[in-house]
Amino acid sequence: MNKLTRLIRGEVKRLVKYKILPVSLATAAVWIGLFLFISAKEAREIAPLLIFVDVAAMSILLLGASHHLEKQDGTIRTMMVMPVSLGQIITAKTAASMLLAIESAVVTAAALYLIHGATFNYALLLLFVAIAGAAHAAIGFVLSLNSKDFTTMLGLLMLYMFVCTVPSILFSFGIVDAKYEWLFMISPSHSASHLISSAVRGEYQLAMIIAGCLYLTILAAALFRFAVYPKFKDNAARG
Amino acid sequence: MGTAFSVKDLHFRYPSSSEDTIKGINFDVVEGEIFGLLGPSGAGKSTTQKILVKLLEDYRGGIKYFGKDLKAMGHSFYEEIGVGFEVPVHFTKLTALENMQFFAGFYKSTANIQELMERVGLWEYRNMKVGEYSKGMKVRLNFVRAMLNNPRVLFLDEVTNGLDPKNARIIKDMIAEYRDQGGTVFLTTHLMNDVEQLCDRVAFCVDGNLIEVSTPRDLKLKYGKREVKVEYRDNGAIASAVFPLDGIGFNEEFQNLLKTANIETIHSGETSMEEIFIIVTGVELNEQANQAD
Ligand SMILES: Nc1ncnc2c1ncn2[C@@H]1O[C@H](COP(=O)(O)OP(=O)(O)OP(=O)(O)O)[C@@H](O)[C@H]1O
Ligand SMILES: [Mg+2]
Repeated sequence: MNKLTRLIRGEVKRLVKYKILPVSLATAAVWIGLFLFISAKEAREIAPLLIFVDVAAMSILLLGASHHLEKQDGTIRTMMVMPVSLGQIITAKTAASMLLAIESAVVTAAALYLIHGATFNYALLLLFVAIAGAAHAAIGFVLSLNSKDFTTMLGLLMLYMFVCTVPSILFSFGIVDAKYEWLFMISPSHSASHLISSAVRGEYQLAMIIAGCLYLTILAAALFRFAVYPKFKDNAARG
Repeated sequence: MGTAFSVKDLHFRYPSSSEDTIKGINFDVVEGEIFGLLGPSGAGKSTTQKILVKLLEDYRGGIKYFGKDLKAMGHSFYEEIGVGFEVPVHFTKLTALENMQFFAGFYKSTANIQELMERVGLWEYRNMKVGEYSKGMKVRLNFVRAMLNNPRVLFLDEVTNGLDPKNARIIKDMIAEYRDQGGTVFLTTHLMNDVEQLCDRVAFCVDGNLIEVSTPRDLKLKYGKREVKVEYRDNGAIASAVFPLDGIGFNEEFQNLLKTANIETIHSGETSMEEIFIIVTGVELNEQANQAD
């Protein structure tokens, strides 16, 4: 087994042992329960929001929780003295976080199909969730690395959601005129939300889709390169 | 014998700090020796270890690892070294064995986990979650972790801190065996017992400077009081007398005492490492124990 695979398997195993994956599955189950009581049309309306909340908020929360648990355990430090590169360690953690995002998309999509028989372009949804998941994993790292404990991290997440996620949710309720949507795309939350909604509803505005994908990809790359990578080792060494 | 580490004029400052924590130190760690870095709390011992294991990188000065620049070493460096940290470093929700198997999986060469864990008395607790381990058990597991990859150089930070004498003995025996098989050890501690029983050479670190690099024996010779103390019974009460060691064979007073008095003990004035620590660093050991709490 190569080292990256081994790292990812370790991350996933810990997601289970530290009860993070079970918690994430439990929230997904709550959403599914919700589908039972609403019409197919309503379900299709609300499904993107649920996937989006999981990708853009839950995954940050879970990444932060696992980061601070590991910091408490002191294990990030031991990982740094193993013959693996920092890039591999960060990649494995990002993969684990994306897995959580994809897991919730899969559960929601399956419920939508099983309960209401609704289908849509799954490949596209998967792609969008992966891109949005990577960008939000990067954001999750930035928030975690800049907070001294989980409580501080929660505070930062609230702030992030207030600035970026809440406007996006308001928008999805039709409070803001749709012609101003491109302004909202600056918020990574909204870009993610736009992409996910498009895939689930099957309504595409090509320019916005391309802009959203590019923006999130570039944002993820820039954050990993300049805000996560340089800070990660420092953070581990001082622990 | 090669030189495992050669450190020249090493300076280091934490980004958050206004002055250097390490203020220009020089030393060599020779292959096959146990090198002890001693000093009071906050002197910079752990910082020095973290620099040598490449956890802290923005240092100034030169460090060579077996002749190669440390900064140029890639992560294959970690195939060759074993690092024991001063704080617990394991996944608390995984069992001890799961932890060891996870870490061992990343190395080309691995030691026998069962053998190591049996030796430190943890094998029977292998399926217990590390979170349920006692402090001393975690310390022992840290040691096993450091030995996992049959390292060429072993770094140990306060390796016996928090261990009962029996377990401390076991770990010290393992360290000595490791050295006898050719291993090199860099050990930081403020426990003088460790130093007397283990170290081939020691360096005293005080406030970011090294002030003595020597062998325990030479230190004792240098700082030892060359005298003999005799305790004897004098009319039921205990009395004592001290004589200079030089020319003791011709000291009549001493010889008279031996012939006439009821001698209870005779000690040469060997200075303990503990006293030497105080003389060299100017810091009382219990004073720093209080600080550490
Ligand atoms: N992350 C950090 N940021 C800023 N200063 C630090 C950091 N870590 C340690 N220091 C400071 O550097 C100095 C040396 O600390 P270090 O941990 O190396 O001491 P030590 O000799 O290992 O002490 P001890 O015997 O208590 O383990 C201390 O003054 C400490 O406050
Ligand atoms: Mg220390």
